[in-house]
Amino acid sequence: MTSLLQRVKSDMAIFAHRKARGMLDGEYGSVFRGRSLDFDDLRAYIPGDEVRDIDWKASARHGSPLIRRYVAVRRQTVILVTDTGRNMAAAARGGETKKDIAVMALGVMGYLAHRHGDVVGLVAGDSGGTTALPAKGGEAHLERLLRRVDSAATLDAAPSRIEDQLEHVARTIKGRNLLFVVADEVAASPATSQLLRRLQAQHEILWLTVRDAGLVPGAPLLPPDQVPDSYSVSGSYPLLAHLARDPAVASAYATAVAARDAGRKAMLRQAGITEGEVAGSRDVVTALFALLERHRRAG
Amino acid sequence: MWWWLLPPAAVAAGAAWWAAKRTDSTANARRRPVAHADRLTLLPEYQAALRRHRRWLAAALLACAALLASTAVAAARPVGVTTTRPEQHNRDIMLCLDTSGSMSSSDAAVVDVFAELAAEFDGERIGLTIFDSTAIQVFPLTDDYHYAREQLKLARDAFDGKPGSSGFLDGTWSGRGSSLIGDGLASCLNSFPRTAGQPQRSRSVVLATDNFLSGEPIMTLGEAAALARHRAVHVYALNPGDLDYGSGPDQPGAQLRAAAESTGGAYYALDNPEAVTGVVRGVEETEKTALSGAPRAVVSDEPGLPLAAALLSGLVLAVAGWRLRP
Repeated sequence: MTSLLQRVKSDMAIFAHRKARGMLDGEYGSVFRGRSLDFDDLRAYIPGDEVRDIDWKASARHGSPLIRRYVAVRRQTVILVTDTGRNMAAAARGGETKKDIAVMALGVMGYLAHRHGDVVGLVAGDSGGTTALPAKGGEAHLERLLRRVDSAATLDAAPSRIEDQLEHVARTIKGRNLLFVVADEVAASPATSQLLRRLQAQHEILWLTVRDAGLVPGAPLLPPDQVPDSYSVSGSYPLLAHLARDPAVASAYATAVAARDAGRKAMLRQAGITEGEVAGSRDVVTALFALLERHRRAG
Repeated sequence: MWWWLLPPAAVAAGAAWWAAKRTDSTANARRRPVAHADRLTLLPEYQAALRRHRRWLAAALLACAALLASTAVAAARPVGVTTTRPEQHNRDIMLCLDTSGSMSSSDAAVVDVFAELAAEFDGERIGLTIFDSTAIQVFPLTDDYHYAREQLKLARDAFDGKPGSSGFLDGTWSGRGSSLIGDGLASCLNSFPRTAGQPQRSRSVVLATDNFLSGEPIMTLGEAAALARHRAVHVYALNPGDLDYGSGPDQPGAQLRAAAESTGGAYYALDNPEAVTGVVRGVEETEKTALSGAPRAVVSDEPGLPLAAALLSGLVLAVAGWRLRP
């Protein structure tokens, strides 16, 4: 079995060739903006870094831009929060398994954190229970986290319930951390909204939504007149694709999807959480980059 | 008949049901797993579509079951047993045509009437005898109506003077006079098969003549009529001429009428529209010898109802299949 982290790295390498090298690291580094004034040291500017973090005087002396680093920034804890229920073993919008996309996204984030010198922990699980792996550094630890997610999210797993994992974080994790949540299309609800506001008060939260597979013809990334044969991961019953071909059903479904997306976006925005979304593992790095960028601008 | 087909059909239906109910564990292998399927299936529109789908499925299922049941029943060959007393028409009718010169103008019309008569009868035997000074049997008593019609057509052609048909009348003239009606009628009477004792079949002669005698017959009309009466033969006279002067009993028409009615028959002018129906009715009234056969059980296939049901179910199935096409 090839290392999951190896795949993450190679994907990031491809991305790094397309964008300016190191840009991701800069974007990642600027997630934790000015939280501490305990100055630690200077480092070279990397494209993507917050401009206001540039130490202009030092830069003038040095001849190239330098970035101030603060103590609190240096050893952050990143908690990867994800769902490993059977929903994640289902197809994503791009046709892959959602779990693969989640592993890729978690891997990219974790690797960025690792390069940044941060420690990475994991909170994952399903409605049956939540596993927490303590935050540590090192690629081996990161690989272990990814393996855990990869092996847990199978079709035999319990149903998904990301709220359980979020509650677990709220209950057990102390201090201010960066939460990186990877979930599928979660429906907005008052309870979830409250929980997110509660978490946002303590942590910095980045949210990546893995888009679910379209179930009606004409859904994004599906051919306009047909839909692949599908079965539901909850109950293994086949879906009658030709019923979904009914224009009334298709339009109702599209409306419902749009309403749910709007609800989720509103809920996350209200809680002050930056959200990104991804449809396939090829887009993970781009989506993460956009997410970090958006988060930086939002701040 | 083939009732044992029904249990295998029931077994086949049960096997099909079992196979359909059995969940195929490998069926999901070529499907993709999707999450949040309830977000589609709980939509009211989807529920409505599902209800429609289920209704058509139920219709298809019912049609299938009905098709199986009705074809199985049809294959088992349902029979109806009826008891019939077969009735045999035991009537012989000899058509007896005067072809003398005085009749030549109306023979064609007479043959038409004969053809009409032949078409009216069903199950009876008919024969044709023509006579002038001697009688010729054109065809004996037969129930081969096709052949009878053919012969009547030949006669018709001969009387119309069609070329090549003159041989039809060969042998009816021997120079011993002409239009010997009594002899002709007697010859017709002799055309009936001879049986010992009372004949089993009712016998009628349809005699077409104008009763213009020229020559010395061996038997007069009266003697022939007496013979007919003796042999229980009804004589129905068709007179194409009916040219009696007055109503004297010695007029040819009146004589013919008397002779016919003396045998229990009737007399009609040829152009009387009653003629054909009257003769037919008269002949059919001679029912006394209609034989009733022994009661017999008739076993006949009755596939109509199950096959109609099968056709109907097939149509319903076709419509449902069209509606249910994926």
